Amino acid sequence: MNTDWNALSDEAFRAEARKFFEGEFPEQYKFLPRRMRWAECRDWYLKLSARGWLAPNWPVEHGGMGLSPTKLLIYFEETERAGVGRMPDQGITMVGPTLIRFGNDAQRSHFLPKILAGDAIWCQGYSEPNSGSDLASLRTEAVPDGDDYVINGSKIWTSMAHDATHIYVLARTDKAAKKKQEGISFFLVDMKTPGITLRTIRNIAGHEEFCQVFFDNVRTPKANLVGELHKGWTIAKGLLGFERLNIGSPRRPLFAFEKLELLAQARGLFADPAFVERFTQLKLDLADLGSLYGHFVDMARRGEAMGPDVSMLKVWSMDTYQKLSELLLEAAGEYAPVEGEVDFGGTAIDVLSPFYNSRPGTIYGGSNEIQRNIIAKYVLNLPS
Amino acid sequence: MVEHNEHAALLAQSVGDYVQHGSNLPRVRALAQTRAEFDRAQWQQLADFGWLGVLVPESCGGLGLGLAEATIVAEGLGRALTPEPYTAVAVLSARLLEGLPEGALRDDLLSGIASGQRLPLAAWQEQPDDFGGLQQTCRAVPFEGGFRIRGEKRFVAGAAAADGFIVSADSAQGLALLWVPRDAAGCELKLQVLADGRSYGALALDDVVVPRGHLLVAGDTARAALDRAIDHAAVTASAELVGVMKRAHEMSLDYMKTRVQFGKPIGSFQALQHRAVDLHIQQALADAVLRDVVRQLDPATDAAVRALAASRAKSRCGDAALAITRAAIQFHGAIGFTEDCDVGLYVKRALTLATWLGNGRAHRARYARLSAQASQREAA
Repeated sequence: MNTDWNALSDEAFRAEARKFFEGEFPEQYKFLPRRMRWAECRDWYLKLSARGWLAPNWPVEHGGMGLSPTKLLIYFEETERAGVGRMPDQGITMVGPTLIRFGNDAQRSHFLPKILAGDAIWCQGYSEPNSGSDLASLRTEAVPDGDDYVINGSKIWTSMAHDATHIYVLARTDKAAKKKQEGISFFLVDMKTPGITLRTIRNIAGHEEFCQVFFDNVRTPKANLVGELHKGWTIAKGLLGFERLNIGSPRRPLFAFEKLELLAQARGLFADPAFVERFTQLKLDLADLGSLYGHFVDMARRGEAMGPDVSMLKVWSMDTYQKLSELLLEAAGEYAPVEGEVDFGGTAIDVLSPFYNSRPGTIYGGSNEIQRNIIAKYVLNLPS
Repeated sequence: MVEHNEHAALLAQSVGDYVQHGSNLPRVRALAQTRAEFDRAQWQQLADFGWLGVLVPESCGGLGLGLAEATIVAEGLGRALTPEPYTAVAVLSARLLEGLPEGALRDDLLSGIASGQRLPLAAWQEQPDDFGGLQQTCRAVPFEGGFRIRGEKRFVAGAAAADGFIVSADSAQGLALLWVPRDAAGCELKLQVLADGRSYGALALDDVVVPRGHLLVAGDTARAALDRAIDHAAVTASAELVGVMKRAHEMSLDYMKTRVQFGKPIGSFQALQHRAVDLHIQQALADAVLRDVVRQLDPATDAAVRALAASRAKSRCGDAALAITRAAIQFHGAIGFTEDCDVGLYVKRALTLATWLGNGRAHRARYARLSAQASQREAA
């Protein structure tokens, strides 16, 4: 379990990852056109955990693989190549890195092992019906009462909340604060707590992946406040940094790219110079995303907080994902709107789902327009 | 490795100083007007800093360093818009010569590059969109006393100040590299003036006779050294382009912060902000790719891997520099279209550097061709 994966050569690590993902990920879920439900991926999650491969991005001392940027990219490339499905992975991509950076020892020693054991599956309580791009205007409220905080309000667009055991919540703790970003705190909440109800929301592709979560006098212990009271916005931003690093990873565009390459081979499109030119441009856009991603992964490994410039990664990754999904539809010709897998001379490809799946990428985690505002203000220092 | 990083850090510091204090746009303008592209004293200064000898082996008076250091210098010179042909001489020619078997002439030319006393330039290209002189018609025919060379060469950057050319030619022994002094009988050099005031040399070789000793090498060694030198020069030109684009974008951002219209700095308008951000992302991609590619390339990198990496760098950096400098005109409005505005100098340098040694389209086509070959090999 304590293998130093970074000591392997890139080729050896790739061979190892390929053998494992191709051989061990359940056949029936390969290239699933939607996120996996917990019931579907539980065994796989635990298998990854037992092998020490669940958290490739976490430091080794917390039970992760501590992969270098190059190795992490190989890990993602091989998961996408093998068609490994997307699990409810917020604990690994967001909560873990956030607790490692902002949490206290008690929170780390309580929650990190639970995440690795599959006992804590997380969802994100950020957006509200009236607080989307303007997240800091949120109105869900937490009031201290004895050893607890009592939370009231509602969160929306909460991905996979119906599979989650825990939710991290941004709530207002000081309504008198001068700026709306002040007086917000960051809480960890058990979804089994009385007063939590949820409804699922069907998305454009017909899948139930996100939810609205209602909080009606929900009590969470004071020990579950992360960081300082009223200073949750800093943590929220830090977590958004990890989220943007995660969304900005090449893995989602790689998923569409793999399909595009298969389809182009099956349809003989590489004989068409006009197609080859567009394909190559996108292939390079993706390869260059890998270089930019590596730069930010290096920073994360050194324990540095993500600065506002990580927004670049999210913008580029999701724009590239959409462009790939659009070329995939174009390459499919009349087959583009056909639902489900289409047989292209022996190669079965679902051309439509990457189109759907790439749509929210420019909306969630802060829309690409909001990311551009952030970069303009905090990186380029342009006036407002 | 530690030593290597120390070199790089010291170099980055001295390049930074040069850019800050030695950068002199009036000089750049004056040279562009006279089409001289070259100032002997300035060139000597670059030699005295050791920068011309970065890739020259220590045995020939150079520093014997690598592409990491050469690209640090190039980015700084790009930023300062230095017109002297650093990449053409200190990278393309030096890398080419360094890859050849040791010999009196090769060593003499390398020493001359490092000391600033000689400017040998590689004359290998005949057609646009070529990589490695594959569409070659130039021939070197042996006779008793040496070789007779006949053919034409194009796109020789820095040729205005050249004192001779390393000419590639087909020969009975395969690709041959021969030294042709500028004043050799039958060697006619014409200069094609470029947008940035520099020039390409067009070389007509009409039965030029050179002695046997001017054959530097022929055969596979010549081919390998030339291919490697072209790729390394393309990466170094990419670094120059990163320097050009960074400075140009800074100028745009500064202007957007100070130019007031409708009672507000124009940089407060979201349409301009988002455009500036998208260009900033192109700049960050170019920077990240350049760094990755430089890390990937050492003198011994496999030729197929090297070519893919070089094309990746040149296509991203070239297109990003063009996009950023073109947008700089737009951000500056009408003033950006005037000759007096420095923005134009960056546009023109980007145009020259982004197209020399292959533009984005040509490098993407090459990338596609090479990746298809690589996957065929993998399949087989």
